[in-house]
Amino acid sequence: MKMEKIKEENHWAVETEQISYTYEGNEKKALDGVSLKLKKGRKIAFMGGNGSGKSTLFLCMNGILKPQEGKVRINGSPMEYTRKSLLEVRRKVGIVFQEPDDQLFSASVFQEISFGILNLGVDEESARKEVERVIEKLGITPFRDRPAHALSGGQKKLVSIADILVMHPEVLILDEPAASLDPKHRKLVRSIIGQLSESGLTILMATHDVDYAYAWADEIVLLHEGKVLRHGTPRQVCGDEEAMEQANLEAPAVMRLYRQLLRRGVIGPGEEQPKTIEDLERRISG
Amino acid sequence: MIVIDKLCYQSKLRYVNASEKFVYAVLTLAMCVASRSALTAAVVFFVNVYLTVAKGGIPFARYGKLLLIPAAFLLVSTTALVVNLSRVPLDAFAFPMGGWYLTGSTSSVLEALRLCYKALAAVTCLYFLSLTTVMTDILGVLRKLHIPGLVIELMMLIYRFIFLLMETASAITTSQNSRLANRDYRTKLRSFGGMGSALLVRSIKRSGALYDAMEARCYDGELKVLPEERPAKKREILFIAGYETVLLGMAVWSWVR
Repeated sequence: MKMEKIKEENHWAVETEQISYTYEGNEKKALDGVSLKLKKGRKIAFMGGNGSGKSTLFLCMNGILKPQEGKVRINGSPMEYTRKSLLEVRRKVGIVFQEPDDQLFSASVFQEISFGILNLGVDEESARKEVERVIEKLGITPFRDRPAHALSGGQKKLVSIADILVMHPEVLILDEPAASLDPKHRKLVRSIIGQLSESGLTILMATHDVDYAYAWADEIVLLHEGKVLRHGTPRQVCGDEEAMEQANLEAPAVMRLYRQLLRRGVIGPGEEQPKTIEDLERRISG
Repeated sequence: MIVIDKLCYQSKLRYVNASEKFVYAVLTLAMCVASRSALTAAVVFFVNVYLTVAKGGIPFARYGKLLLIPAAFLLVSTTALVVNLSRVPLDAFAFPMGGWYLTGSTSSVLEALRLCYKALAAVTCLYFLSLTTVMTDILGVLRKLHIPGLVIELMMLIYRFIFLLMETASAITTSQNSRLANRDYRTKLRSFGGMGSALLVRSIKRSGALYDAMEARCYDGELKVLPEERPAKKREILFIAGYETVLLGMAVWSWVR
């Protein structure tokens, strides 16, 4: 009974408490007192310019970097930097890195994907099944027999996502997953991310695409020079003109357009603000 | 190297069990080296060409070009074996040059010929392996042979990253050339040096990023991956066994004759 109560109480997937990190040889802090509480099962977008600390924050969340100050808690338990507990943390929190070529170490797609799950100590047969399942699920089958150096950027990205999914993480971190993809693969990757979030996974994603973040996310974290500038719902964050300007971001197109249309009286104040251009189109035509 | 890599991914024999192909290539190579008869070498040569080109579907012209590379080396090295500079003329040929002769003996000519056909046949064995078996499969076989893990992991990483290295190098060179970096000999040298140092810096950075990414996937010092195996076929094993027995017979016969 008591156990259940504890379970119920902890609905934070990742918490950071005043964490700061400075890279060796740098004077400026990459992270400067970041405190965040990220709810389980949420889709959370991280925005901010290059060097705002997104990637550093992600590496702290999976124990690759140990913040010099502050604490990180995963699933309620504070991160300890022993080998055993780090392995546990890294199983729970998976990172898909921005550059697939920095992540894929094997020339064989199948071997590449099998790496993570074998590290968890799973026996070969179940590992093989799991790898096959992920290959099937992400549509990697048509190019699974090609060497990594013959894959396109989008295909490499799919493999790097499969790399992590095979480990069944509870929290999936995606560092600019759509960067430098062609429109076809961007759409594909985004639809996969959409499916994953429906399965209850907590997804943290760094992105520069305001329109996408606004439509996709449940929460947006705005980072600037290693500090949290704003954390809230997309509407709150994108509506905060001051914070957006400081982060060098513009409000989402649909938000700006909606405001104009509202002001000119083209559409009446509805029950809800549209999140995508398609929503807005429907409102205007309907 | 890249040509061979591309071709072997297209080979129709790619999905044949890798251990079979490996054993075939190594055994045939051993027989070919051990045997003294020209016939063995000829058989090995033609069977390998047949398997690689006809069965594997490697274009014949490509294969011929690849064979020319070792052939050129052979020509140069056997010439050195055959041609002597001596005061006395030998029995095969002799060209007088002042008081000396550019000359060779019949036995050395025969020896050189034997070396040539043996070496060419041996090369076709290796070409068979490298034109039908992809690197990751060969590594799987080496793992089965209990080659130390560190060696295999290194080979795996080198094979993966050599392509990235070349890609990066060629991208840097292209961008240098588009800024007239190859205007004359001096600038060429300087830009080559610049490319080298940029490559080193990028490689170091990349290796750090790769290590982070592997750690993020619970890496603990050993690169564990699942081997991808194709089932061995009885018919193929029987063929290989029969063929090698014939070769062995020919090799033994060439010695006792």
